[in-house]
Amino acid sequence: MTAINRPGPEESVPPGVGGDLAACLRLVARGDADAFDAVYDLVVPSVFGIVRRVVRDPAQSEEVTQEVLLEVWRNAAAFDPGRGSATAWVMMLAHRRAIDRVRSVQKESERERRSAAADIPFDEVAEAVESSLERERVRRCLRSLTDLQRESVTLAYYGGYTYGQVASLLGVPAGTIKTRMRDALIRLRDCLGVTS
Amino acid sequence: MDAISAPDRARFERHLAGCAECAREIASLREATARLATATAVPPPPALKARVLAAAAATRQRPPAAEPETAARGWQARTWPGRTWPGRGRLALAAGALATAAVAAAAVVFGLSNGSMHDQLSQAQASSQQIAAVLTARDATMMTGAVKGGGTVTVVMSHARRELVFTAADLHTPPAARGYELWLIGPVGDRPVGMLPPVRHGMTGPVIAAGLRPGDHLALTAEPPGGASRPTGPMMLDVVL
Repeated sequence: MTAINRPGPEESVPPGVGGDLAACLRLVARGDADAFDAVYDLVVPSVFGIVRRVVRDPAQSEEVTQEVLLEVWRNAAAFDPGRGSATAWVMMLAHRRAIDRVRSVQKESERERRSAAADIPFDEVAEAVESSLERERVRRCLRSLTDLQRESVTLAYYGGYTYGQVASLLGVPAGTIKTRMRDALIRLRDCLGVTS
Repeated sequence: MDAISAPDRARFERHLAGCAECAREIASLREATARLATATAVPPPPALKARVLAAAAATRQRPPAAEPETAARGWQARTWPGRTWPGRGRLALAAGALATAAVAAAAVVFGLSNGSMHDQLSQAQASSQQIAAVLTARDATMMTGAVKGGGTVTVVMSHARRELVFTAADLHTPPAARGYELWLIGPVGDRPVGMLPPVRHGMTGPVIAAGLRPGDHLALTAEPPGGASRPTGPMMLDVVL
């Protein structure tokens, strides 16, 4: 994992992995290319990871990842720290772009029911990433969900399916899926100890 | 989670705007959702970085929201990538209704000149679709501004489509048989967008301006009936796009 230790006379970017992304974004909003370089290193593994998990195709995953990073560059001034963390903002952009790509590219008939429903979503082998502790924590919390909750989250978040599609894949009414999803997110949030 | 449809999202965002408790709850669930993403982190091919940095160097950034100024340059831009903002759904409906009503009113007042009412209405519908396309564009930005002499304008612009939708409210009817004309002033040249529809109850629009170029300003003048090919009246509004 690339560490962010930036030598140079002006340490305008906080050094260290897990450096303050929000502070970097403030600098990026002013056109600071070094700050954007740091933002890239901070977020691209998470962005690429979720994009690849949703989009699957390696070439398109790179394209979408580039689109996401460019959107961060273009719209850094629009990030509002009052509405949530910088990481959540970037991940929202990434997830949304990945879903858009999937929905525009893949036709309904081509989307087979994934064995992903049974997938724990971290079965990709990857080089050690700084979030391995995080990864284990999320994995453990996902395991604490009921099967239906976990499948709903997996299909909706990683599979990019709509509520209606998840409902039909799991053979359960759409209203039930909405409830399951909300319950799942609340349990995940409490298990992870997330505050807003 | 992005599993809901666009109109539902718009209603949902409007509700959020007025409910701080809900906003906190949603924010915490969003943080939890973001952890689902960070937990699947995988480094991309190293060659991607150079491509991204090069592309960023060639990409303009969107400026932050500015404080409104007085007189002709009162603009504020608000943008949140990929989101709708409260009121945009209503604006879309209002714009569609205005387009159809404006054509119908014009047809009644001026007689059916070019084509039948049906043709004119379907022309209005075609432009309604164009208007809706701009309003719902992913990169749509909304700006408001003040007109010299009275009135406010609202512009929704899509960079990607190079189009904007213009509406105005609280305008004074133009003096003695003149009409309002909208212009694009820019490095490519000054070109008329067209005459605004007759002002009714201070309102006019929506009007589409297409073929926007970097550096363009949007301007408004009062011109003789039928319009002019070059602005002759004083600038009542000058907007940097």
